Amino acid sequence: MTTVRMRDLRKRFGATTALDGLDLDIGVGVTGLLGPNGAGKTTLLRCLATALAPDHGRIEAYGLDPADSRQRTALRRRLGYLPQSPGLYPNFSAAALLDYVAVLKEIVDPAVRRAEVRRVLEEVGLSDRANVKVRKLSGGMRQRLGVAQALLGGPDLIVLDEPTVGLDPEQRMLFRALISRLGETRTVLLSTHQTEDVGALCERVVVIRGGRAVFAGAPRALAQLADGQVWRSAGRPGGGAVYWRTAEGDYRTLGEQPPDGVAVPPSIEDGYLKLLGPAPAGTTR
Amino acid sequence: MAWHVDAELLQAYEDGSLTPSRVMAVDAHVQACAACRASVPAEAAWLDRTWLAVADTLVADRPSPVEWLLRRSGLPEHRARLIAATPALRLSYFAATAAVLAFAVAAAHTGQTGARVTLLLFLVLAPVLPVLAVATAFGPPADSMHEITSATPMAGPTLVLWRATAVVGPSMAMGVVAAAASPGPGWWAAAWLLPAFLLCAGTLALATVLPLPTAAALLGGVWVLVALAVSTSAPLVQGALFGPAAQFGYLLAAVVAVVVLTLRRRHLDPGESR
Ligand SMILES: Nc1ncnc2c1ncn2[C@@H]1O[C@H](COP(=O)(O)OP(=O)(O)OP(=O)(O)O)[C@@H](O)[C@H]1O
Ligand SMILES: [Mg+2]
Ligand SMILES: [Zn+2]
Repeated sequence: MTTVRMRDLRKRFGATTALDGLDLDIGVGVTGLLGPNGAGKTTLLRCLATALAPDHGRIEAYGLDPADSRQRTALRRRLGYLPQSPGLYPNFSAAALLDYVAVLKEIVDPAVRRAEVRRVLEEVGLSDRANVKVRKLSGGMRQRLGVAQALLGGPDLIVLDEPTVGLDPEQRMLFRALISRLGETRTVLLSTHQTEDVGALCERVVVIRGGRAVFAGAPRALAQLADGQVWRSAGRPGGGAVYWRTAEGDYRTLGEQPPDGVAVPPSIEDGYLKLLGPAPAGTTR
Repeated sequence: MAWHVDAELLQAYEDGSLTPSRVMAVDAHVQACAACRASVPAEAAWLDRTWLAVADTLVADRPSPVEWLLRRSGLPEHRARLIAATPALRLSYFAATAAVLAFAVAAAHTGQTGARVTLLLFLVLAPVLPVLAVATAFGPPADSMHEITSATPMAGPTLVLWRATAVVGPSMAMGVVAAAASPGPGWWAAAWLLPAFLLCAGTLALATVLPLPTAAALLGGVWVLVALAVSTSAPLVQGALFGPAAQFGYLLAAVVAVVVLTLRRRHLDPGESR
């Protein structure tokens, strides 16, 4: 079910074009946003999170138009947002910070707020750090606190800008479990540079470059873009193909088939590189 | 055993009114003492409730002095919490303002050209401090959490105006106290109030078009230039700039700024196009 529609979004910062006529539909479930640095991911997420108005174009989320101030407020009541730089106040304790954001989210009753704070701390595994000041939390814990504040009030639309940055493997796994649970009933849009996150947790992946969506589909479909172009070989591949030496001592190549190359199934990363990367020298189209 | 859980202690324990350390003491005792264990209700729901109450006392932060004051003055708890989180409402900001003003007062008292120095300092400083307060009341770069704030239903003109008022009030009050403590004609103490109000309202009005720091720097800068020019010129000009006619002019300009601010207030919402 489509819950968010974006049409012809444009946003410029001075001479830089951050969004250049972006069209995107997303629905209930987890959608991952991939793209190189400066592609416009953060700008897109900020527009959807009502923190920034696009110069042009239309957004409709859960039937609400953020260009209209009433509908924008209504949308904010159903929204959770983790910015790329959350800027959590360093001198607030984890619980006090969440309590503050809960007030911003109009949870007025102190008892309800405390219960909600406790719930989200539990969700991200920070219950035992409730009284620790933000500045004394580790980077990964701070990141989890950022996710926790986005979950306050049980939002329908969850927008997360690089939520898995700095998480250790165990936390990454717990985060995936949490997000996929949320994705059963809610619309989750997250940006990431980790293609493993996308493969593990997103039903849909969108690749943006230069402020436009250049791919939208299943992660498997993204991987398939590199079908028949990923090889394993014992000998070092020649030419300018992209390759690296694996832990097993053989070579993995994306691009032209090495002399003794055997085709292997492509990964999401292969598909992504195929889609975006300049065609490796020596390959023919 | 030296003590047992009596009825009074048990009641306090059940109410959740014990301090966390005493709760732990009771728990430890009950584990060890069969007699007391029998007297403590072991119903699961009750245990849950008690533990939640204890957890709440652990979680609840002591309110900051500012929040405590705001609550004392009758604001609802949630509103006090919102305003107390205003970046410029940290004690450090007030300490800095007080230090600047104290320095100005001291300089005015010791200065060779006492009256002139006082005039200079107050014309330049007093109206700029509230503008600085406004500039750091919301939004980037003063509020590091501005992105998160922007995406919440509280974001927008109401929050901005609450915060601006909360910082301008104390800032102006400190200016009045400092002015009263300085040598020089009494009217100086009040002469800067209308210009200061104009600058604050003007900054907010301009912030509906420009980024807030730019708006504050622009108006504050214009003021500093004018004030420097005036304070080094003849007393006649000073009268022209602070006399009744000039004050009336500031009042009119301030009314215009307030009207513009009222009409364009929705542009203070970061999600609104400019
Ligand atoms: N506030 C801003 N002022 C000026 N330029 C900006 C601003 N925000 C973004 N840009 C520019 O817009 C473009 C898109 O930036 P954006 O932050 O959306 O990229 P991104 O895809 O999130 O990149 P990253 O992966 O590095 O986070 C970049 O060229 C960036 O320099
Ligand atoms: Mg980004
Ligand atoms: Zn006993």
